[in-house]
Amino acid sequence: MDEEYDAIVLGTGLKECILSGMLSVSGKKVLHIDRKKYYGGESASITPLEELFAKFNAPAPDETYGRGRDWNVDLIPKFLMANGLLVKLLIHTGVTRYLEFKSVEGSYVYKGGKISKVPVDQKEALASDLMGMFEKRRFRNFLIYVQDFQEEDSKTWKDLDPSTANMQSLYDKFGLDKNTQDFTGHALALYLDDSYLQQPAIQTIRRIKLYSDSLARYGKSPYLYPMYGLGELPQGFARLSAIYGGTYMLDKPIDEIVLDEVGRAVGVRSGTEVARCKQVYCDPSYVPERVHKKGKVIRCICLLDHPITNTKDALSTQIIIPQKQVGRNSDIYVSLVSYTHQVAAKGWFIAMVSTTIETNDPETEIRPGLELLGPIRQKFISVSDYYEPTDDGSQSQIFISESYDATTHFETTCLDVLKIYKRGTGEDFDFSKVKLELGEEEQ
Amino acid sequence: MAVVKTPVLKVILCGEYGVGKSSIFRRFINNTFLPNADKKSTLGLDHFEKMYRVGDKDVKLQLWDTGGMERIASVTSSYYKYAEAAVLVFSLDNASSFHILSQHLLDIVTYAENAKIFLCGNKSDLEGSCPQVTDADIENFCEQCHNLISSTYKTSCKSGQGLEEMFLDIAQQLVECNRSKIELQRLDHNSFKITHPEPPDEPSCSC
Repeated sequence: MDEEYDAIVLGTGLKECILSGMLSVSGKKVLHIDRKKYYGGESASITPLEELFAKFNAPAPDETYGRGRDWNVDLIPKFLMANGLLVKLLIHTGVTRYLEFKSVEGSYVYKGGKISKVPVDQKEALASDLMGMFEKRRFRNFLIYVQDFQEEDSKTWKDLDPSTANMQSLYDKFGLDKNTQDFTGHALALYLDDSYLQQPAIQTIRRIKLYSDSLARYGKSPYLYPMYGLGELPQGFARLSAIYGGTYMLDKPIDEIVLDEVGRAVGVRSGTEVARCKQVYCDPSYVPERVHKKGKVIRCICLLDHPITNTKDALSTQIIIPQKQVGRNSDIYVSLVSYTHQVAAKGWFIAMVSTTIETNDPETEIRPGLELLGPIRQKFISVSDYYEPTDDGSQSQIFISESYDATTHFETTCLDVLKIYKRGTGEDFDFSKVKLELGEEEQ
Repeated sequence: MAVVKTPVLKVILCGEYGVGKSSIFRRFINNTFLPNADKKSTLGLDHFEKMYRVGDKDVKLQLWDTGGMERIASVTSSYYKYAEAAVLVFSLDNASSFHILSQHLLDIVTYAENAKIFLCGNKSDLEGSCPQVTDADIENFCEQCHNLISSTYKTSCKSGQGLEEMFLDIAQQLVECNRSKIELQRLDHNSFKITHPEPPDEPSCSC
């Protein structure tokens, strides 16, 4: 440990592992430490099942749950957008070779107490039971507009400047009603709340395009999920970092970040050992005095022995409950994965219901999500604070990631990583720095 | 139009830091040896595929190296996933690298429960007249592990002795016990790797 590094990374959550990989690839000498004895921090998948039960102080699972080792349960539920940033990062860094994926089978939205498939193309729009006959035509016209829209060709904008006009005005232009706006903004553009309505329309158009481009990649839904659980992702990036010379230490307590007289990070101390460095990258849990609480997220892990009704017995699915449908300010998310992803024993499903907390009774807040699931064999509830750094790290050279938010995909996660990388190195990540492999397979 | 895919069999190297896993890896890739390995030169490369012919069948062995993660921390559990074979490597001139193998064996059976396990004593050129690890030690170890070990080999990365023989033998054994599975692999395309997007198809008529 007593060496000098360019950067020390604390915590092996997904964000820190991606950063560590990017820094190593860029030629930096990296030391990556976690105080826990496993990789992944909050983004780990818990295995075996006994460990999950123990973590929540529940009595050990009985034999109906099958072999404990067959379970890998995520603590934070998220899917990858097939055409999203994380997939781009995986491909460009080559980390994709460590992983295999399955396409998520269905994407649903909640309206008036029941769920419907999210319509994304013209055909589905016309077949959807979410809208009345006339509304369907208006929505179809809207979809065609978005599909034909090209940022560099103002002719496709149809007399509306999307970088100045807000999204509400675009909805109004097509005469879409509140219900349609609701599932468009929340189930297609995947916004957490309604503040996007006052933002430039271009942002929402990009998000809808991301959704439909992702859908076009692998079919059934725009989402992907890795075999053996999300915990495979940080491990893949950690391996990338190691291959490019990064040093790993697990199970190593961190006592302090050592500062010089002007308050810049110059090292990290563990007991009597000090590793010197020029920069520190870490998650909020390593620097409680440098972050502030922005909100709270509730996540409820539910173990089921059946699929969710009205999803055509999908082995994986996502359901979005738009805020307005249940009188809230933020959406409720339900995600389901199962034994087909090697994350549960044969015949078992893992559902996760999550949302940003708005009241003092978070368990009641997620009830609409739980009610969709049918009988739940076992339920684990966790409430976590959502932190963000108090400064950008330019003075202290301590670069801190934000906690994982309630969104069900990794887009915000990746944006945070790319922002931190830029703050820390002063440059955008150069994907061409990743060497082409000698052993690359001929296509 | 049926394309017959060559089955790819993942083989991982396990063992202590410094027993010669990367040297074995290097021999496998281009049959070279660096006495004081310039570690930098393997950076960015952690697995390699090579074709072996077994009877009338071609198979690809895909050999994986740890990337030095085991130096201080543990190797990630992902490393073991999908492995068809694991080679437990120890150094014949270093008894402690042999005695700690049970730990590595435990990781293999935990994370890669279907892998066939092989034992490889490396640095046979340093074995000398009074070996640190005797044949009897090796035999005992195999017995203690309830015959989990399929075969044992002795190799020298310095001279190159025993390495090709080992990989060919592993390829043969894997083909033997995987015959039915290899057939299946050609059909099963349930999960997939993500790759660069295909060039877009001809725009379809939207009317």
